[in-house]
Order: sequence, then C-alpha cells, then structure tokens
Amino acid sequence: MRLLTHNMLSSNIKGVTSGFPLRIEAEKVVEKQVELNAAFLKNMFAKIEWKPFVDASRAMGYAELPDEAEPLMLESDEFLQKFHHALLELHLEEGALVCPETGRRFPVNKGIPNMLLHEDEV
Amino acid sequence: MSSLLSTWGSRLRLRFGLPTSSERQSPAVVAERPLRASARGTRTTVARAARSTREEVEVERLQRGIAELYDESSGVWEDIWGDHMHHGFYDSNAVVSLSDHRSAQIRMIEEALRFASLPAEDKLKTPRTIVDVGCGIGGSSRYLARKYGAQCQGITLSPVQVQMAQALAAEQGLADKVSFQVADALNQPFSDGQFDLVWSMESGEHMPDKMKFVSELARVAAPGARIIIVTWCHRDLAPSEESLRPKEKELLNKICNAFYLPDWCSSADYVDLLRSLSLEDIKAADWSEYVAPFWPAVIKTALTWKGLTSLLRSGWKTIKGALVMPLMIEGYKKDLIKFSIITCRKPEK
Repeated sequence: MRLLTHNMLSSNIKGVTSGFPLRIEAEKVVEKQVELNAAFLKNMFAKIEWKPFVDASRAMGYAELPDEAEPLMLESDEFLQKFHHALLELHLEEGALVCPETGRRFPVNKGIPNMLLHEDEV
Repeated sequence: MSSLLSTWGSRLRLRFGLPTSSERQSPAVVAERPLRASARGTRTTVARAARSTREEVEVERLQRGIAELYDESSGVWEDIWGDHMHHGFYDSNAVVSLSDHRSAQIRMIEEALRFASLPAEDKLKTPRTIVDVGCGIGGSSRYLARKYGAQCQGITLSPVQVQMAQALAAEQGLADKVSFQVADALNQPFSDGQFDLVWSMESGEHMPDKMKFVSELARVAAPGARIIIVTWCHRDLAPSEESLRPKEKELLNKICNAFYLPDWCSSADYVDLLRSLSLEDIKAADWSEYVAPFWPAVIKTALTWKGLTSLLRSGWKTIKGALVMPLMIEGYKKDLIKFSIITCRKPEK
C-alpha cells in the first residue's frame, strides 16, 4: 500500500465521526522504484492532505518531507523528488492501519489492506 | 444445452464426492428464539431482532460466497478471456468470432464513457481520480488510468483478485497509477468526495442493499463527478405489477444461487434511487441487444478442452457458475434480464 492510497482511506465504522487519517503500524516497508511523472504529481498535489501525509511517511521511516508545502514548491526538482518518493515509492507490505477513534486495526498483508468491516461495525 | 450441462453437473458432483442438490444442507440460520406469548410489542421486537440477525448472517454468507467464487474463478477467467471480466459491446446482430471479444470488452468501456458524456481527452476536464467499485482483476482500472493519466483505486471482496490486479498493474507499468484493496462497496473505505469518476462495471448485481450501494457511490463522488453503473437488471415492472411473475422469479433464483447474487432490481429502481439522492442528469438505457453474443461465446470457451480442464481444476463454485450460463441466455431471450447502463452527475457544490 502506497501513501497515495493511505491519504484517501478512512475508517467508516458506525458511529465514527473522524476516521481519517488512519494511523500506520509499519512492520515491513519496501521501496519500489517508479518513474517520476511531474504532471501526475502536480495533479495529485492538490488532492493530498499534507499533514497526514507527512505523519504517515514518518511512520514508514522517511523523514525528509517538509512539515508544510505549497504549490510553488512543485517547481523545485528536489521537492518533487521527495514528494514522488514518499507518495509512490514507499510500500507498506506488512502492518496495519488503525482507526483513530476506535483503535480497530485493519490488517495489511503482502501490501494489500483489508478494509472489510465486521457486521457489528456497519 | 441446459439438460446436457445438468447431466454433466450431476456426474461431476458424484465424481468429486460433492453433495447432490437433495443432500445439500440449507445454510446455517440463526435459530429464532421462541416468541413469548406476552404483549404484542415484545413479540414484534423479538421477531424483528431475530430477523435482522438473520439478515446479517445472510449478508455475511453472501460476501464470503462472492469472495470465494472470485478467488476460485478469476485465474480461470483470465487465462481464457484476459483481464476484463465484463460483457463486450457488439453491433446488433453481428456475427462475432472468438478473437473479437477482447476489443468488444474495450468498446464496452468506451461506450459507457460516451453515454455518460465524459469529455474527450481534454486535459483540463478529464477525471484525475477514479474509483473502480467491484474492480475484478483491475481491467477497467488499468484501462481508465492509462486513458486519462489518472489515479485509480479499485475495491473488491476477493483477496486473490487484488493480488492478481496488482501483479498485472506492475507488469503493465501502471503500479504508480492504480491501487487495489479488499473492501466492501457498501462501506467504501474512502473519505467523502474523493473521486472525479465513480465506476461500477457489472458489480451492482452483487450488492444486497441497492440503496446503500448507490449512496456510497454518491458519497465518494466529488462535486461534479460522473457516476457510471453498468449492471444486470430485471425488466421494469408495468404500473399494474407488484413483482415479477413466479416463473421469472424462479429463473432468476437459479442464477442467483450460482453467481452469489442477492435479489435483482430494475433499472427504473436505480433511476429512482439516484433521484432520491438528488443526483443530476440521470440517464438510463437497455443495452441487452448489444451484448447478445457474449454468453454463447463464454459457453463455447468453457466447452473447449482448455475450458473444461480449467473448470475441473478450479473448484465447485466456478463449475456451478458455469453450469448456469445457459440460464442467462434464457433470461435475455425472455426479456427478463436486461443489460443496463445508468449514469448521472453529482451536483457541483
């Protein structure tokens, strides 16, 4: 699971009012190189919740992202490289995503998050 | 054709030591508590509680059945048909050869986009984020991500499908654009308003609660986003009709059991649901005539040496599904089953 995906996921357990962002418990993180596409990154930037993204990247062991970011920074190659790396190249292979309100763990195995709710959570 | 296949089915069941239809036990049902002969209110409450628990068990059984069916059968399908697990779109009355089906499946995607008035490859207005609800092994996700240069999220109940989808994405150089997770379309794991395009290609028929299904599609759609639903429906009911005729229900039930489908609805029902959610620009069409060659082709491939051996290796759920395919043809011929497209737009803020 990449951080781009994590930034879109939320816990929709019955009764939970703010299920975003899910806390990351990282047991195994893998880096997979992917070609940088500046246009794609610029499109995605607008949709990213930045603070949760930075927190998530730190949970995955990457601390290079600035605490705050603005569109202007996309003009810098160095920033683009860091943004690209954190967004697309870090993969959570084993671990869990944790609901911030209930503490419920959604397991991640072989890079696949299982977001299915149990009957009593619906 | 169907009697041949049912004989074949019985022989298979005996061969593999599987229970025949008379032996097969009814699914475990939560035992109803005996109703107390006290005030009517209590009796009703107890009955309602027992019923909703039974419903929960049913839904869970259905979900597990769907996951297992696709865990079992996706590899077989991909081997023979490729990575699109949906009907092809054909010209009416066309004579189609086996090699035409893949391009027909792609044409189905393009025709659906056109029907929904999605803009052409104009960079300013194309969808940037897409959700593929009931994504199978990711055929649509990869196609749409490539077409629009967009980010696509796919969800399915089947862990095997997610693994296959991810592997195919990596093979095709799309690992940065598409992601898949195991999730429930009735409780999508996304925050509100995430997606510019909400895509459901032949998954709606698996949804036990159509209202919840459609509400979730609407919830995750961004303002101005298009929602595209391509699904199997039964015919619209006439104003005088309360429900389908008994023979019609009987036919659909047989299909439901094999394909893990809950009750069917009509495309008019979908339109009503979308309207009730204040969605705009709602359009619906019956595309049954454009998909007619599909099931005969699937049956034909199932009856090849490769098809039969793959089926035998796959599992009982897959075989059961295959045996019921002639009933789909029967349903279409009787104007009972309709291949429907329903599209709409979420209002801008």
